[in-house]
Amino acid sequence: MNEISILMYVLSRKKSIHQIGATKKEILKSLNVKNKNKSVYFQDLLTGLSKYLEPLGLQIKFNSLNSHWFISYDNELTELISANPFEGRPSLSATLLCVLTSCLKNSGYSSIQEIRTLRNKKDVNDDIKILEKEGFLEIDKKTTTIRLTPLIGYKLDLQKLFVRLALKLKE
Amino acid sequence: MEELDLSEKINKRIALIKDGVLSGKINLLELQLNPIFSEIKNSISIYNIENYSHSYKNAVELLNQKFEELKNLLSSLDIEKRFEDFLKTHPNDDQISNLFSGCWKKTFHFEPISMKFLDYASNRYVKERTTHFTIEHLNKEETNEQFLIEVPKYKFTEKISAFYDKIKKKLPCFFEDVFDNELDQIGIYEQFVFLLHLLQLNRIKYEKNTNTLYI
Repeated sequence: MNEISILMYVLSRKKSIHQIGATKKEILKSLNVKNKNKSVYFQDLLTGLSKYLEPLGLQIKFNSLNSHWFISYDNELTELISANPFEGRPSLSATLLCVLTSCLKNSGYSSIQEIRTLRNKKDVNDDIKILEKEGFLEIDKKTTTIRLTPLIGYKLDLQKLFVRLALKLKE
Repeated sequence: MEELDLSEKINKRIALIKDGVLSGKINLLELQLNPIFSEIKNSISIYNIENYSHSYKNAVELLNQKFEELKNLLSSLDIEKRFEDFLKTHPNDDQISNLFSGCWKKTFHFEPISMKFLDYASNRYVKERTTHFTIEHLNKEETNEQFLIEVPKYKFTEKISAFYDKIKKKLPCFFEDVFDNELDQIGIYEQFVFLLHLLQLNRIKYEKNTNTLYI
């Protein structure tokens, strides 16, 4: 057992349906690193592991929504394997975009009513339930407010999506 | 034209731009990179192409950096409003789904990677590495049949040792003398091979000038 095997474990483990990998603090704890230069050591570790993972088509990524480091397939491999969790279900992508828009507008929270309006559809309940089941969002049963989980940060390149949207609007 | 080499000048200029970007004095989005690429294009020739590859690489790096800045700018501009504007155009499900195209990521999650599994794999690996294998000589089976390839009666090392014991009394002697008693050509060839091995093992030495074998 060495640093690489421990890192592989902590970065690829699924803590819950919407939590994969580990935070910097957790990684340093699992490796028992306590010295003064731990941030430099941490950076070196991740860079070192990246070099091993690169030929395998894997890369280390950071999910800024929950500050977790995790391993994902690189762009080339992602194109070969089906990364779209809503393949053949475009309705779910559409509803997710409405939830995302609504949450961005309302400091991270949304409601079924709001999504219904944005979606321009009378019934979005089925989509919401599926998105909840697949871990993309959480619904507060009492207040019926909807909140996105960090899963979107693992599954979606938000930066790329924003650029695509900007280009789309320019057309 | 043959002697014109602006690569050094271009490299210095790019380095200055990079420093300017890092210190915040230069905004890449406001800087025109066309002059740099034009200069490379206009002054490159077969005589200086080797030096220009580095200049071109530096210029492309700068261009990539500019693209990154543009992406960041686009993403920071009222993104929620942009999403809303897009949704107000009443795109259908497929149009929205297409927007996500190429934006999905696949996380690496490998079920067998657990601490328990890694521990097990680690122990197993160590055990396999420390296993000692013994290589035993093949036993000759008794048979009446004649085979083309026969298992030798003695081990090769035993044959070499027997040959060594046989000739060591003669040493030092001339090279040819060790084969004196052997008349069969195959036998001589076999003994010659033994001799080569003994020389290789340094059990017998050979003096080329006097054509002598000695211990």
